[in-house]
This record gives sequence, C-alpha cells and structure tokens, in this order.
Amino acid sequence: MAETMENPKAGLPDAADMLLECKGVSVSFPRYGAPVSEALRDVSLDIRRGEVLGLVGESGSGKTMLSRAIMGLVPPPGEVTAGTIRFEGKDLGKLDEEQLRRMRGRDIAMIISNPRGELDPLQTVGQQIGNVLRHHLNLTRRQIRERALDLLKQVSIPDPQRRMDAYPHELSGGMAQRVVIAIALACSPRFIISDDATSGLDVTVQAQVLELIRSLVSERGTSMMFITRDIGITAHYCDRIAIIYAGEIVEVAGREVFFDDPQHPYTVLLLAAFAQNERLRRYWLGGDKVQEYTGPSPVGCPFQNRCVRVEERCRGEHPALLERQPGHFVRCHFPVERP
Amino acid sequence: MQILTYIGRRLIFVGPQLVGILLVTFLLLKLIPGDPAVMMLGPFATDDGLARLRTELGLDRSIVEQFGIYLWRVLHWDLGTSWQTTMPVTSDLAQRFPATLELVTLSLLLALAIGMPLGVVGARNRNGIVRKFADIYGLAAGALPDFWFGLVLIFILYTILGVVPAPLGRLDFTIIPPPDVTGSLLIDSVISGNWPALRNAAGHLLLPVLTLGLINAAPILKMTLSTMERMLEADFSRYAEMCGLPPKVVARKALRNSLPSVITIVSVLYGFLIGGAVLVEIVFSWGGAGQYAVQGVLNADLNPVLGFVLYSAILSLVIYLIVDLIYFAIDPRTR
Ligand code: SF4
Repeated sequence: MAETMENPKAGLPDAADMLLECKGVSVSFPRYGAPVSEALRDVSLDIRRGEVLGLVGESGSGKTMLSRAIMGLVPPPGEVTAGTIRFEGKDLGKLDEEQLRRMRGRDIAMIISNPRGELDPLQTVGQQIGNVLRHHLNLTRRQIRERALDLLKQVSIPDPQRRMDAYPHELSGGMAQRVVIAIALACSPRFIISDDATSGLDVTVQAQVLELIRSLVSERGTSMMFITRDIGITAHYCDRIAIIYAGEIVEVAGREVFFDDPQHPYTVLLLAAFAQNERLRRYWLGGDKVQEYTGPSPVGCPFQNRCVRVEERCRGEHPALLERQPGHFVRCHFPVERP
Repeated sequence: MQILTYIGRRLIFVGPQLVGILLVTFLLLKLIPGDPAVMMLGPFATDDGLARLRTELGLDRSIVEQFGIYLWRVLHWDLGTSWQTTMPVTSDLAQRFPATLELVTLSLLLALAIGMPLGVVGARNRNGIVRKFADIYGLAAGALPDFWFGLVLIFILYTILGVVPAPLGRLDFTIIPPPDVTGSLLIDSVISGNWPALRNAAGHLLLPVLTLGLINAAPILKMTLSTMERMLEADFSRYAEMCGLPPKVVARKALRNSLPSVITIVSVLYGFLIGGAVLVEIVFSWGGAGQYAVQGVLNADLNPVLGFVLYSAILSLVIYLIVDLIYFAIDPRTR
C-alpha cells in the first residue's frame, strides 16, 4: 500500500488538469551561528482546476510561508532552497521578478486577514480596486470605475456607489473583508489563496464572508487554497484538506476520507478538540503523558513531543509522507487505524 | 467644515498661549543678572541718575506690575524700544525677522531637496550605494556644528577660491537695496526689477543657505529614511506587493504615508532654526532676528528679546496650524 512521494498523483486525473503543483518545496532562513531554520520542508501539494484545498495548521506551521513561496514573495533573507512550484505548467522559479509581479493579483490573487490594517489608509476603496485593475488590465478610466463598482456589487456591499469613495478606516471589518475579496476577484484570477481570511471577524460575519467566498469561487470555477487554523471550517468549504505541521505536510486527503478516516495523530488531535466526548479529547490532547511542550523536535518526528502514540522509532527516524490509500497521504510511523 | 471648526478652536487658544510664553520669558529674563540702567548709563553713572532711569523704565515696580504694563503695551502693538539701537523693537524686527525667515526658509527647502530623495532611495534599496552614502552623510552632518561648517565653507569658497561675495551681511554696500515690500531681498528685487540686487543677494545667501541646508538635511534624511523603511514594511505595502502592483507604485504609497512624519520634522526644524540659526547668522554677519535677540540678552536689553520671542511664538503657531492643515489634506483619518 505504501507508495513514496515519487508519484503523488497516482489515482488522480492527469497533469493537464493540474493548476498548481508544488514539488518538494523547502524554504529556509539563514541564521547567524546556528543551523538554518527551515520554514517549509519538502512540501508537495497539488491543486486541480476548480478545486478548493484546505490547508490547516497552527500559527508558525508554515502555512502562510507556503502562500508566500507560491507568490514568489518569501521575505528575505529567507529563500526557496529546494523544489519547484509550477503554475499551469510554468515553473515559477524560472520567471523573473517582473513576470512574477504580473502574475500576482492577476492570475494568483490573495485574500488576506485583518484587511483594515492591510489596505492603504490614504486611498479610497475605489482607488485601491482601481489600482489593481489599472496595473494588470488595459482599461480606460471609466471602465475601471465601472468595473470597480460592479465588483463591489458582486461582493454584496450595500450602497456600493458611496463605498467607492470611503476610506478603509470608515469600513467595518466585514466590509473591509469584502473589499479585499473584490480586489482579489478584480482580474478574474484562476487561483485564489485565502489566508486566514475570516480571523478577527464576528462569528456571524465570518459565516457570511465564508459563504460569499465559496459561492464566488464555485460560480467561476476558480481554484482556491483555503488557509485556516480552524479545521472545522474546512469541512464545509474544501474538497481536499492538507494538514501542515512544523513546515511539513503531515496528512492530505479528500474531504470524505479525511473526516471519516483521519490517520495522523496530529489530525486526530485537531479533530478531537471539537469532540463532545471529554475523555476522548483529553486522551488525544495528551493528558499527563505529554511533557511541557517546547516546540517541534528537530530529530525524528517533529510531532513526537505532543504525540500520544509516540514510540522509540519516532525519536530517531523521521517519517516519510506515504500514500496509504489512493489520494490519502500520511506522514507517521504509527498511523491511527480506524477501529 | 470640520476644518473651520478646528481652526476656530485653535485660534481661541492663541491669545492665552502667547501670554503664557511671554510670561515665562519675562520671568526668565529677570533671572539673568545685569541691570539695564547700569548698562545704559555706563561706568560713570551717578546713583541719582540710575535711580531716575530705573523709575523711568519702571524697574522700581513689582514684577507683576512690570509684566502687566508690558502686556498692555503689547496689546497696542508697542513692543518698546531697544536701548542699543534706540529704535522701536517693531521696526527693528521688521527688518531682521524677514532676513532670518528668508535664510531659514531657503535652507530648509535645500535640506528637503537633499534629505528626502536620499532617504527615499536609501530606504528602497538597503544595500545600495546610495544607502551607504546616506548613512555616512546622516552621521557626519549630525556631528558637525553648523557655524564651524560655515567657517570652512567661507575659507574654501571665499578666501581660497573667491567665488562668493564676502560673508558680511545680505548685500554688498555698493548695491542699492530694493524697496522694502516683503522683507525678502530676493522677492523684493524681483518685484522692483532690480537685477543687480537680486544677483548680489543670491550670492550672499549662497553660503549660509548651503551651511544650514547641508547640516539640516541630516535630520530630514534620517526621518525620511526610517519612516519610509517602516512604511515599506507595513502591511499595506506587503499587500500591495501581493496584488502585483509595480514597485514604483508601492514606493509611492509608502512615501505618501511617510509624509506626515517628514512634515513634522520640517516644522520642528523651522521653529528651532528661527533662533537656532544665530551662530550661522553671526558667522555671516547676517543681521537676523536671532542675532538681535542674543545681543539683547547679553546687554540686558529686555524689549528686543521679548519682541523676538513674541514673533517666534506667533510664527510657530502659524507653522503648526499650516502643518495641521496639511495633515488634513493628506490623511483622511484626521478629517
Ligand atoms: S511518527 Fe510517531 S511521534 Fe510522529 S506522529 Fe507518528 S506516532 Fe506520533
């Protein structure tokens, strides 16, 4: 049953269907007087056309770094040290900065969290949408204004005409989030990365915004990478789910399989946090067995210090990502079997 | 509309602010040792004469009374006379204040023209040669005393090369000054079409403006550099990059967001230099307001000092008001 990473697409539709292919991507940050720190290690992940992939991890797990790597915006002094990222077959590593810039916002767009802090405080909503339109598409002033207005309507902003001239500080969090979604949609991208797009919003607003993103994406057949800390959200919005821990993908599966048959102890831990059963939750969260947590372990399995299933082998041997069933990859020596 | 309310509210406080500033200055000046009567009458004065003069000057009254009398006169725009120049302080300052203003304004324009571009380019390219130059420049210019730098410039450009007029005042004695309209020699010569005066005045301005401009470019440079750097790292710049906006556009956004800090430092420098340029004024015998005030302090000549303080305070208030209006224009959050 075990196949190695050499053929991660086994059992999946062929390569022409692939929109984004990350293969063995590593991102490292050099450190003075210490070994380099790896923000991403050997990440392989594919996204098909029209697919919504959920990427779940805690903060610092590398999920944002992966989106940065895809956009070619790894903050210096970090750099992509291994692997390739292909978008529609094109190796992004071979493009120069100018070609990459032209893709950003036009072919690959980003929906960010906390948009009120990320929009330019000195420009109106209309100007900021217009900026993206002007620099990516060849439109006249009037077309830009019309298009911007139309986008605001699409993201269901009330009174769009008036909002065009509003400044970010005059918007509510949910409203600002919609503006950012409008900017992301502006050039009809084929791929959207949503990075923790709804954190910081009220629960009701959160649900509205998520629903909006989902309907807009599925209407257009846009592919999306949906990055979140909340594994519960992915159940509703994603076709496939990947779990990232300490810069490594530890489990990938289609939604049904994923929730039906989770196999990595970390995945189970994340799911157990939602469980109603107190005993179950305590068991997987480690209970007394786990010593004080000090961060991912550098040797062996990174998860060993938090894992309830840890064995001697985990301390010394780094587990590989293996395909245990077609399309279901797990990185663990002792995966959880379904009872 | 909000702007008008704001200005109105500001203006209400102008009166009390000015009185407060004058009061503090008045008391400080009284602390300085030196008796104006003795200074005025010289070493051979009789006790009788001194006493009479003191009564005449009101020096025998209580400090409160003295200040009250002074305020009353100020309300009628009578700032008293300077016993050194024997002229009313208002007419003395009418001559000297514009001299300082012209010098300081041009110097700050030069400082801006040097500091801002260096700061912007330096912030955009942290490993570039411009950045290295900017760092060294900021350090060097921040460490040099301006009057010393002025002397060096005089030595090189006047004494050795002889390319600038003698550092003695604003015009050569042989040049007929233009009629006084604005007080700025440059503007007045243009108005009256007095080209020889224009050329000569510009020649005289060159060195002191260069001195103050080059030195004061340093704080502007540092402020631009650090703010611009912060803005380029700010979330909105990162987001603009993610949206694929060209680097130039991202830099322009960052610059616009940096402007308030730059304007603030310029306004602070402006207020400071009105009095702070005095050493450079002395080096170039500029006959400016700072020089006038320092002479007043040294010779217990109270009225010029108080007049200078009053003028500077009004000017500072005007500057800060203008700065606030610029903020209004730039930043929608202040509206
Ligand atoms: S390899 Fe071992 S320590 Fe790591 S997750 Fe699996 S069981 Fe736990």
